[in-house]
This record gives sequence, structure tokens and C-alpha cells, in this order.
Amino acid sequence: MKFYVCIKQVPDVDAPIQIKEGNLIQDTDRMVLNAYDASAVEEALVLTEEHGGEVEVVLVGPEKAKETIRKALAMGADKATHITTDNDVDYDSAVYAKVLATFFEDKEYDVISCGKQSQDTDAGLAGSMLAQHLDLPYATNAVGLSMEEDKLVVKRQGDAGQEIIGLPQPCLVTCSNDMNEPRIPSLKGIMQSKRKPMETIALSDMNLDEAALSAKTKVTGYMEKPEREPGQKFEGEPDELAQKVATLLDEEENVI
Amino acid sequence: MSTLLTHIAVSDGKIKRASLEVLSRMTQLAEANGHSSEAVIIDANASDHVDEVQKYGASKIYTIEDAIFKNHQNTPLLKALSKVMDEADPFVFGFGSTESTKDILGALAANTDAAVLSDVSEFELTDNGIEVTRPVMAAKILSDNKATGDNILVSVRSGSYDLNESPTEAEVVDIDFSFDESELKATLREIIGASGDKIDLTEAETIVAAGRGAKDDEGQELIEELASVLNAALGASRALTEAGIMDPSLQIGQTGKVVSPQLYIAVGISGAIQHVAGMANSKVIVAINKDPDAPIFDIADYGIVGDLYKVLPPFIEELKKIKS
Repeated sequence: MKFYVCIKQVPDVDAPIQIKEGNLIQDTDRMVLNAYDASAVEEALVLTEEHGGEVEVVLVGPEKAKETIRKALAMGADKATHITTDNDVDYDSAVYAKVLATFFEDKEYDVISCGKQSQDTDAGLAGSMLAQHLDLPYATNAVGLSMEEDKLVVKRQGDAGQEIIGLPQPCLVTCSNDMNEPRIPSLKGIMQSKRKPMETIALSDMNLDEAALSAKTKVTGYMEKPEREPGQKFEGEPDELAQKVATLLDEEENVI
Repeated sequence: MSTLLTHIAVSDGKIKRASLEVLSRMTQLAEANGHSSEAVIIDANASDHVDEVQKYGASKIYTIEDAIFKNHQNTPLLKALSKVMDEADPFVFGFGSTESTKDILGALAANTDAAVLSDVSEFELTDNGIEVTRPVMAAKILSDNKATGDNILVSVRSGSYDLNESPTEAEVVDIDFSFDESELKATLREIIGASGDKIDLTEAETIVAAGRGAKDDEGQELIEELASVLNAALGASRALTEAGIMDPSLQIGQTGKVVSPQLYIAVGISGAIQHVAGMANSKVIVAINKDPDAPIFDIADYGIVGDLYKVLPPFIEELKKIKS
């Protein structure tokens, strides 16, 4: 079984962020493997450990994203392809999906997976775009995966409940981070990752036309979200606190 | 004059409020800019919902009715949406940001070569597109984005706009649609834990959410009683859904549902940014936590520092008195 996992390097949303002249500035510049993609890598590893096969990760991003590819290899992925871009590209989901679709054109695979969204923008679009370009059956927001002969069985968290969907291979699935706890690379894994094959392709060599690489959507600026002011904090006898807050909710806020 | 089209999502025979919020906003924008506000209902019983949709100002309502739409499946939904885009040629096509929308939005954009912006909290029209605001970086930051093009797709977070009735007599256009089940490559086998008549978290006026602090049986009983007294929907932090203590569909946060109720009561929830990303737009937030330094107190309007097992029983009694 050949598993491709599309991964992305993103800023760590837990690190402090500032906005200077409309730009996002992270003092730490801490970049990480997108948490949802990490779950996709983990699930691919679990399935191939159980059923045999190979996991290859693909990343579209600048040179410094190599460290994120190394992380996925250290977790246990077998090989990697790095499609390199300039440092400050303003690609939207549609451009990434086009680039990946072009990459996959001449590849053979059973399953392509990725995170359901990237944790910095939360857009959640590239996965289903890629499936459409490649004309693959797909499911999004998977919270569980299993294999059944030639089918990938997806448990998807939908609006009405958990949908159990059978996908004939080849197929595409986007993963929630609720399906597993991604493994922490072991020292051995980290050592091995340095010897694993990593192919580098310059995006400029992929013969994508201008239209495919020009984003139809643009970020025009950033703002701090107006912060909620902390309200009143009560400490003391539980009976009194309960009564006080219940009365405030009823009389001051009118929400009971 | 251009068309502003709204997708009306129906789940379990009920229109999703998020769709009507988008339609309300579209009708307002259409009136202000001389455009036409239109809607499309895609459901097994689409025509049953026309009267309700007319209340929110759609001047034309497309219906696509087929038994295949009884449950969400992306292939037929995509086919129907592509067809209505051909028919209506919308300048802007708006969606409530439900899980079903998230499942198809990117694919529909790829299919129709439309520009797309997802999960926005505000949107405005420009001459050649739209400008939106979206929460990013676990909703700590707002980003301004613009999209240009002839067809633009936008999905809107629930609770971003108020419902606004402006009844019209709509022209109803039934779009001929057929779907052969043999076209389905992906097959829906079953739906587990269907919510039935439970209150939908994204539409709830009051939510009682439980975290790690309320994970044992006694804690669960207390939060259930509190929710029942307040006629509230139950929610959970990731700690409880991951541990299998509460149903995954109840998870609130960056990964789960984004909610905006009038009253949010966080019980035993510390307030990690990923959780706060899903509930910070609640009108009134009450936090009950024994740790006085829990980050949830930084955003709570009313914080009660205390043991939930001691605080909830008298709190429930007080609320019962107020309710009676």
C-alpha cells in the first residue's frame, strides 16, 4: 500500500504573536508540523505498520521547511518530496492544491491524506480541492481510519453524527487531530531520518502556468482580536457564590 | 444587477440557522447594492422549506429535490451545487459553515474555478469581489482578506449575523436533477450517534460545557442536571471527548464546533487557547474552576473559584428557584 501524506509547515499558534504595521510577527519564529498533518502521518504509519506498505510525505514550502519534513521522517515516514518555493509567497489553498495535483499527476498511490485544515489559517480547503483535481473519492474530517480489502473505511465527524464511509482506492482523506496522539520521534528515529531519501523539486521547474500560481484570494492585513476583559472573579463559600452568580445572571444579564 | 445566492442547509428535516443568518446578511447586501438575493434548497424534501426561506428576503428560490439528499454525501451535493451555479451564475455564493459545507467547499471551488474564502466572521461586497474578516492563529488574530472574480464562494461562521426577517413572495424554480447511485464511489454505510432531537450546539442559546474537572460520574451527573435546568446544550473540552467520556460531536474549540450562545458556562475547563477559539464569542461567559489561575478566568465575565462538586449543587438549586 502506498500512502502519500501532504504536510505543511506552520507557525506555532501557541507562541506569542504581535502585529506590526499589519504584518504578523512571531518573535520566536517557531515553525512546526501542522498538528492535523501530524495526525495524518501518525495514522498512515499505524495503517502501514498493520497492513504493510510505504509512507511518503510531500511538502510545498520554503527551504527552511526541511526541518518539518525531517520531523515526519523521524516519526517513521519512509521518504519525502520537498517542492521548494520562495520564502515569502502569498499562495492560497487553491494554489497549493494545484501544485500538489500537478505533482500527483504521474504518481501511483492507494491513499493520499492530509490534515483537515492548517492550524494557522484554519481554511480547510486544500484537501477537497486536491481530491477534485485528481477526481478521487474523498472524505474530510476523519476521526478514525481502517482498511478493508481494497477499501479505506473512514469514520467522519459530520453534522448529524459520525458517518461511516467506504472509499475505494485510490482515494483521499483529510484527518482531524482527534483520531490519535502523534508519536514523538525517538532518538533512533531522528538518527534514521537523516539517511532517508528526500527528493527536492523546485516549484519553478514544475511548468505550472501563471494562472495556477496566482492566488484569487489575498490577505490584506491583520488585527489583534479585541480582547475580552476579565470580569468579576468570586472566591469564598460555595453556597454564597452560587447564589450571587445565579442572581447576577438573572438580574444583570437576563440570560436565565 | 448580480445574484447573491445562499445555500440553505437542511439537516434532520430542519433548516440550519447558520444558513438563514447568511441569507439575512445577503438580503441586506442585495438591498444596499441593488443586487438580487436568491437561495437554493437541496434536500430530499426541499419544497417543504420554501415558506421558511421566503421569510428572509430571497426573491428567487431554487429547489433541488432528490431522495439521495436524505443524508449528507459529498458527491451528489457537489453535483447539485455545480448545477445551481450554472443556472444562477451567482456573483457571491454564501454558505453557513457547517461540517457538510466544510466537506464540499474546496471541491466546489476547484470544480467551478471560483475564488473561495472559508469560515469568515464578516463579509462585505466590493466592486469586483468581497472583503472578509476571518479569525486565524487559533482565533487570536483577525485577518482581512479579499477575493476577486465572477463567482466567489464564502462560508460564514454561525452566529456572525443576526436573523432578519423581510418576507417576500419568491419565484420558485425547481431544478431538474437526477442522481444514479451507481455514480457513487464513496459509500455511506451508517451514521452513528445521530443527534436526533438534541439541541444543536452551534444554534444553542445556552451551553453548559464540561472539562477535565468534571470527568467522573458525579461531575457528569451535575453538568447534565445543570444543562437540563437551563434547557442548555451540552458541550465538552477536547480532554473529555478524547477520553471517550463525552461524545465527539460535543467538542467545542478550534478542532470542534465554534459556538456563540447567549450564556456559556464552562465547568472544570482550564481554557486552553484551542478551546477558547471555539467559544470566545459567547455573550456571557461563566467559569467554574478550582484553580484561581486557570486561563478561562481571563475571559470569563463571572468566575467562580471553587470545587465544582461544592459549587454546582447550590448553583443548580438557585437556578431552579429563578426558573420556577
